[in-house]
Amino acid sequence: MSDFQNPILPRMAFITNIIDETSDTKTFKVEFEGGGKGDFLHEPGQCAMLSIPGVGEAMISVTSSPTFKDFLEFTIKRVGRLTNIIHQLEVGDQIGIRGPYGNNFPYKLLEGKDILFIAGGFALAPLRSLINYVLDDEHRKDYGKVDIIYGARSVDDLCFKRELFENWPKKQDTQIYVTIDRAEEGWDGHVAFVPTYLEELQPSPENKYALTCGPPIMIKFVLQNLQKLGYQDDHVITTLEMRMKCGIGKCGRCNIGSKYVCLDGPVFFLDQLKQLPQEY
Amino acid sequence: MAVYKKISKDNLVQFLQELTKDRILIAPVREHDLVSFSPAADAGQVDFTFQNSFVPPKSWFFPQTEQIFSFRIENGKYELSEPSLPGGTVLFGVRPCDLKSILALDPVFDGKFDDNYYSDRRKNTIIIGLGCQSVGRGCFCFKVGGGPLESNGADIFLTPAGGDFLAEGVTDQGTDLINKQSRFFSDSSAEQVDKEKREGTDRLLKQPTGLKGDFNLPKLKAFLDANYEIPYWEELSYRCLGCGICTYLCPTCHCFDINDYARTGLEGERIRCWDSCQFKDFTLMAGGHNPRPSKKERVRNRFMHKFKYHEDRYSIFGCVGCGRCVQKCPVNIDPRKIILDLQEVAGNE
Amino acid sequence: MKGIEEQIRATSSQLLATGDVQMVIGYGAGSDNTKTMPVFIKRAEDVGKLVFNPLCVSNLANYLLQWKNFEGKIAIVVKGCDSRSIIRLLQDKQIEREKIIVLGVSCPGQLKSGQAEAKIPADAVVSEAAVDNSGFKLQTSGGLITFSLDEGLLEKCRQCESSRPVISDHLFGEKGFEADKADLQFNDVAALEGAPLEEKSSYWDKYFERCLRCYACRNSCPACSCRECVFDMVEPDWVAKTVNLSDNSAFHLIRAFHVAGRCTDCGECERVCPADIPLRTLNRKIIKDIKELFGAPMPGSDLEALPALSFYAVNDPESQN
Repeated sequence: MSDFQNPILPRMAFITNIIDETSDTKTFKVEFEGGGKGDFLHEPGQCAMLSIPGVGEAMISVTSSPTFKDFLEFTIKRVGRLTNIIHQLEVGDQIGIRGPYGNNFPYKLLEGKDILFIAGGFALAPLRSLINYVLDDEHRKDYGKVDIIYGARSVDDLCFKRELFENWPKKQDTQIYVTIDRAEEGWDGHVAFVPTYLEELQPSPENKYALTCGPPIMIKFVLQNLQKLGYQDDHVITTLEMRMKCGIGKCGRCNIGSKYVCLDGPVFFLDQLKQLPQEY
Repeated sequence: MAVYKKISKDNLVQFLQELTKDRILIAPVREHDLVSFSPAADAGQVDFTFQNSFVPPKSWFFPQTEQIFSFRIENGKYELSEPSLPGGTVLFGVRPCDLKSILALDPVFDGKFDDNYYSDRRKNTIIIGLGCQSVGRGCFCFKVGGGPLESNGADIFLTPAGGDFLAEGVTDQGTDLINKQSRFFSDSSAEQVDKEKREGTDRLLKQPTGLKGDFNLPKLKAFLDANYEIPYWEELSYRCLGCGICTYLCPTCHCFDINDYARTGLEGERIRCWDSCQFKDFTLMAGGHNPRPSKKERVRNRFMHKFKYHEDRYSIFGCVGCGRCVQKCPVNIDPRKIILDLQEVAGNE
Repeated sequence: MKGIEEQIRATSSQLLATGDVQMVIGYGAGSDNTKTMPVFIKRAEDVGKLVFNPLCVSNLANYLLQWKNFEGKIAIVVKGCDSRSIIRLLQDKQIEREKIIVLGVSCPGQLKSGQAEAKIPADAVVSEAAVDNSGFKLQTSGGLITFSLDEGLLEKCRQCESSRPVISDHLFGEKGFEADKADLQFNDVAALEGAPLEEKSSYWDKYFERCLRCYACRNSCPACSCRECVFDMVEPDWVAKTVNLSDNSAFHLIRAFHVAGRCTDCGECERVCPADIPLRTLNRKIIKDIKELFGAPMPGSDLEALPALSFYAVNDPESQN
């Protein structure tokens, strides 16, 4: 970011496509005027502040991979006033963006390794940027086997269905394990909570990093089960969410101990997390 | 090159008046019994008798309420415009504790993402520090590494000497200004200024203070590094009201909130306002989860921020001993007492 | 006042030792000899931390809201003025009578903190304090320090209607401060009421302008019992977070009307205000109006009298037109 830019002033971009993921979650494809990402160059795992002037701002993870050269994508769940109004936007409407913010998934460190992704519900969104980065034709050879364990409450709550059922399974050395919490008509796939499915699948920790994202209760049991399976704390990676306002380490509300999630996170290794106060 | 001069009170007022010709003068002004840093078009309004200001001078660089941008929708498109920030300014009368607080705030607003609103004002402001003439009941700068006549953080520093002031050009900018306006000053020397400061400090620190006991901040920091969950915080939080006095009056507290206001939908503004980590909704998330759900976590966070987190991040303590929270906390949550209490807890471990 | 202090300690010790209460909320010595602070005593051996002197200005009743779900019984030290809050909280069913024991103090009067700071050296040790018609007498390590009532007595004490608690289970102190009848007439409010509109407006503007919106007035107020406060709400944002004369005025006026009929003039809001806004005057204006319109006494002065704004009578003034 250059010295001349005001870091808390958003730039207005245009919505160029909207995908209904679930009944309360949509993915917005966004481009700056004249097309493209402009100088918004993010790394997998980074976030951006999205806003509607006059309504408000929120920190949202960039769900598109940097390998998508011409646009950005944000997957947004309706949870409050701002996200309700964003959900009412249409293609061609404007949205404010500033960023990218925060650290990123250690995609260089993961080179040559197998990767296990474990996600629940809406929280596949932050992992998706890395998944698509790793599975991109240009990078696929840099990484080992990729396993994705993903679950949601119901079929409707599964995000990114096209990638999940069509695109990703076609990639080399890639296994997708999808589960839903309770059996439902028309679903002949797996039924179990994500931590239980993990326990059933028993993925070996050998030469592998595990990246997990999901609701706190899922994370809690996933981390327990990973430990049981022999995953070391420095091989388990997750992302944190805190209330944020500035996104640039000044407004003071997303601190966990001395760390600001907006600057030093959102990506943390489990061993780092264990060093922090349990205030998240 | 530093410069050492002397200036009479009358000349000082005239010097300030001269500066208002091409700069805004922000100085301690007494209004209805409270002294605040306010614009003073007439240097005669400047108050010299204050112990310290009600609101700290951070409010000049970081106003309590500030527009980030205004917007209007024209032909279906948002037009965002940034507010114009004030130009050349003299901030006069900053006490040594508050000078140091500005040094503690700089790295927050600076860094990878430079905050224009703060930095623009900071760059355009010459700070004239004013040494203390007395030590207040809540003052403890001298226990946290400062002193009532410390000039660090000022461009020009004035040490009261009799009815006059000894003036130091602390930075090049300050020295230039003194040299340019040399007609208001008479000669002095580094030795004289140094002597006055030493003797003055001795004299000031002989004033009676209430709370006895020495601080050992590195040891305190080491204790805080290693001890997060101690019963002390919960007991302390019982009496906390959860109001924002300590944070709003703290010269180093910098938390803010950002809110949008639009009356018509076609135009409006984005505003930032001071916020307080003592407020219960400060960390409340849209989904209802609150990482700091009770006063225990919030009180601990404030104190940890001052004596650990700020140090961890910026290598400077977040408490400068100005004593505003000591004086104004309605339930006597006194950081001096907390330090002494924690040192005792640490000693007993 | 040593006698009162000793009685508070003795009674507290007994109540805690017998298990009649599990906590005593009272005053403790502050970090400065001109301040006291709220203390929460849970063990009989800690009752020595309880003090009573002319610096016990604060009203502790608000803590009963904080400890609403406390498992056990609480004893609380209240002065006459504070005792009105207890009654008012009982009337609103915010607290249960059988869960509290009221340690009432007939209060001889409290000292202005500014005066105390001006006259008591920071390193003095105050050993005994007495108040009578001639004023305050403080025995200190540096000698006797006196304040005449004119210089030392708090305004709210001068206007005190009930220096003897209106509710108590244990009563300490023989005789409370007896206010001059003339001081009970709301003359301060009447004087401001009589001023021209512009003058009243600028009087409040100058104070509201410097409000920091720290919410200390609200957070210390025993009449503020809402679980969620309009001033914290983001959606809808009834009052903007922006700090300026307009929004600050809205804050104070909404608050004053919201506590109308529940405000007992304990003066806690004015005491805690860091900007010295004369909030009592604002609240007293409404108390005076309610008194004149409904013939209602000072809220909290009578447990059996229904609060004026909490019930309807056919001869209420608003039903007359």
